[in-house]
Amino acid sequence: MATARKSRGESRILRYLILGTWALVCLLPILWFLSIGFRPRTEVITPEPIYWPTFSLDAWRLLLSDWPIAKYLLNSVLAVGGSVVISLILGIPAAYALSRYEFRWREDIGFYILSTRMMAPAIVAVPIFFLFRSMGLLDTIWALMLIYAAVNLSLVIWIIRSYMLDIPKELEDAARTDGASDLRILWEIIIPACLPGIITAAVIAAIFAINEFLFTLLIASTANAYTMSVALANFTGGSDGIIYNAIALVSFIAFVPILILVILIQKHLSRGLTMGAVKG
Amino acid sequence: MRTDAPSVPAGGVASATPDRSGNPPRRRSPALRKAFPYLLLAPAMIYLLAITLYPGLFAIYQSLFVVKFLNWTWTGLGNYSQILQDREFWAALGNTALIGGISLTLQTAIALTLAYFAYRDPLIRGWRIIFLMPMLFMPSAVAFIWKLAFNDGRVISDLLMSVGLVDGNVDWLASVWLARMTLIVADVWQWTPFLFIIFVAALQGQDQEIEEAARLDGASWPEIFWNISLPMMRPVIVVAVTLRGIDITTMFTNVFVMTQGTPGGATETMSYFIYRQGFRMFNFGYASAASVLMLILTIIIAQTVVKRAFHSGKK
Amino acid sequence: MASIHLQNIVKRYGGFVGVQNMSLDIADEEFLVLLGPSGCGKTTTMRMIAGLEEPTEGQIVIGGEVVNDIDARDRDVAMVFQGYALYPNMSIYENIRFPLRMRGIPASEHDARIRKAAEMVELGSFLDRKPGALSGGQRQRAALARAVVRQPQVFLMDEPLSNLDAKLRQSMRVQIKHMQRQLKVTTVYVTHDQIEAMTLADRIVIMNKGAIQQVGTPDEIYSDPANTFVAGFIGSPPMNLIQGTARDGRFTAPGISVPCPRFVHGQVTLGVRPEDCHVGGDNLQGQVYGVEPTGDVTYLTVLGGTNKIEVKAARDYRSDIDVAIGIAFDPAHLYFFDESGQRIRGAA
Repeated sequence: MATARKSRGESRILRYLILGTWALVCLLPILWFLSIGFRPRTEVITPEPIYWPTFSLDAWRLLLSDWPIAKYLLNSVLAVGGSVVISLILGIPAAYALSRYEFRWREDIGFYILSTRMMAPAIVAVPIFFLFRSMGLLDTIWALMLIYAAVNLSLVIWIIRSYMLDIPKELEDAARTDGASDLRILWEIIIPACLPGIITAAVIAAIFAINEFLFTLLIASTANAYTMSVALANFTGGSDGIIYNAIALVSFIAFVPILILVILIQKHLSRGLTMGAVKG
Repeated sequence: MRTDAPSVPAGGVASATPDRSGNPPRRRSPALRKAFPYLLLAPAMIYLLAITLYPGLFAIYQSLFVVKFLNWTWTGLGNYSQILQDREFWAALGNTALIGGISLTLQTAIALTLAYFAYRDPLIRGWRIIFLMPMLFMPSAVAFIWKLAFNDGRVISDLLMSVGLVDGNVDWLASVWLARMTLIVADVWQWTPFLFIIFVAALQGQDQEIEEAARLDGASWPEIFWNISLPMMRPVIVVAVTLRGIDITTMFTNVFVMTQGTPGGATETMSYFIYRQGFRMFNFGYASAASVLMLILTIIIAQTVVKRAFHSGKK
Repeated sequence: MASIHLQNIVKRYGGFVGVQNMSLDIADEEFLVLLGPSGCGKTTTMRMIAGLEEPTEGQIVIGGEVVNDIDARDRDVAMVFQGYALYPNMSIYENIRFPLRMRGIPASEHDARIRKAAEMVELGSFLDRKPGALSGGQRQRAALARAVVRQPQVFLMDEPLSNLDAKLRQSMRVQIKHMQRQLKVTTVYVTHDQIEAMTLADRIVIMNKGAIQQVGTPDEIYSDPANTFVAGFIGSPPMNLIQGTARDGRFTAPGISVPCPRFVHGQVTLGVRPEDCHVGGDNLQGQVYGVEPTGDVTYLTVLGGTNKIEVKAARDYRSDIDVAIGIAFDPAHLYFFDESGQRIRGAA
């Protein structure tokens, strides 16, 4: 242990230098962008950058008066929340089947599900656009809900499957001999036992849904279905140019809940992000 | 011990009620049992097929037509022969590989370095949330951060001038490589945390005894990292980099917000190419042909790299 | 409260045979132990009785009823698992209550029955805790309580004690046996530990490679092994098995020479238990290989030719290694096995 302490002591300065530098790389753009949200428009785009701006709530006022920000927020919450519910309802039984039953083509089905995650949104963008158009769902929250659920389903299934695999088979056998049916076992034993996995899947699915851009861009064309993510792009229109201070403010409005969610599931984050492949 | 057991009258905890209710026991239907897992999977599978298989078939069908609004004119493989000679298509493919490859290499290297320094840090649990923050911003917001920093707000130029690296304002969108670099910086900044947190988790999850044995054998920390930790976490690296690689090849938001493909298409990715053909120029048939080609590429990659990655990575 | 009959049970997994053509009758109220090394098919057999796995061929009859097509949940058997299988999200009370709820027992009876079951395994004060807050032994008791809370036709126990330490295992063993006698429920118990088998069982079934090797009371299994497998599996230390040649009423192997019946001859295996070997004699002539005092007895290993022979010696026996020594075998307790490992019995 003595040698360990010595070698640690030698590398400590280097370690904190490197970690500290990267922490600044992460933090400074965020803090600077936050400062953009609280400065007047005249100080955003200037010939020389202004590092110590005047404090201003211009962006707030603009958001509240000119932009239906509450509506965008509500759209985001409804579309994301709805999509998470859909993907859990579809995903939990699927994960249960993949993790607890032996059946033909199990591996192939599992891999097919995984591979839908690899499909670039752009590949299906055109057909999906036509599909929703023919269903009359363009520019509705319903379309967003359906597409977010689809995008996240593979991830939800794989994360939950990974947590279900950790539950000892004995538990199910015990419940079966105790007289429980398969669905009851799922409901009373398996779901409570892998609740952390389900929450992790839900949070990560929610984050991906909040972030989704391309599909939302194609589906939403008015405040009817604009979400926070695409509403940002909306601030660029018009003769005023890009309204950065409003964009910055909206970014932080979306950032704070995500940050809180991630802090809550921090322990499970790496496992969730790798769809269960890494147990952190 | 025998005396410890409390005495219970014979018959134990039996009670007046028979445990089996009067109903005859349910006979199981073998067909239903066999079908049960498929029934559980069916809703999700139908949903996924509807959202992948249907669009795939639709794209293949549409790619055989020249689509002008509601007019579909049969062209057979015309779109494909045209696209394979389209320099913009090949440029988009090349840009995606180039920008994605450089970005992925950089963020893997940075994340590994940081993870190496961070994972034994006793305080890292407390402050790793700082390292995660870039990842938690909406991608469209991140694109605006860097658009402002590079182009509209000139902050990066200003900072580079102040340390004397450049002597005038840099027009980042004027040069092919500078424009690509802005995309790379934005992607590396946002997504290095993704790899970092996975690598740290993998390193912390490793068996401490092996490291301790290596230390007793006289190995230094860098030696341990290179010879023991890194090989042991290889499956994890493969999975994480594969997942990240998939996302990078679909890069769209940054291009849409920051460069729109300028200058001269040097930053146009595959996703942006399809978007531009379909939703800016309304060449839906042409865009579908590009989608089909990209889908074929995706399937090839999925069947080779990804399948292997997840097989070595799973428990 | 039921007898169990297995008729020509076969379990195949693809090409692998888990259980081959097994027939067994288990009497009502019997305590039957399935004993064998891991992978011998004993757990598979039990899981088929439970209904957790289906036999590929053959019939399972419980209480006079063919149960092949009846789901585990309707078979009215209670099972105790090696890992206890307590539901982690439920309190111990809820765990014990689960089978009552599942089987539609009126809620008014639950509380009394749960408390009675908990009392029976001495678990009364832990009912509110979650399984994670209990020690291994307490979890084991909770699992037992969950099994006895209803009155099943059959108890199935799958190595229930193997995760406990040696001392706790002994006391739980006695408790299980006491409970089974009290409740008079037919019990099938799987273990790889021969001490557990000997102490608990009315009858023992020894299995190897998916097939029954011998069925009998503990005494029969010990004193009348059917083949080398059973002989080598039972007893601690197990029976010495020495390959040699029998001719004209004498068995010889390097360093060993003992008389044998005239009907034994050719290449055979001699079996002799360590407790039937005595220091001083000339059946075995070899060197001391090792001496292991345990307190109440001393284990002595003797090297005779290439064979290492275990001997139970007096508790105060001591010796250096490599000292020449002679061992006598008790002529009344010698066993001979033919080349296929089967016991060679008289012409009777």
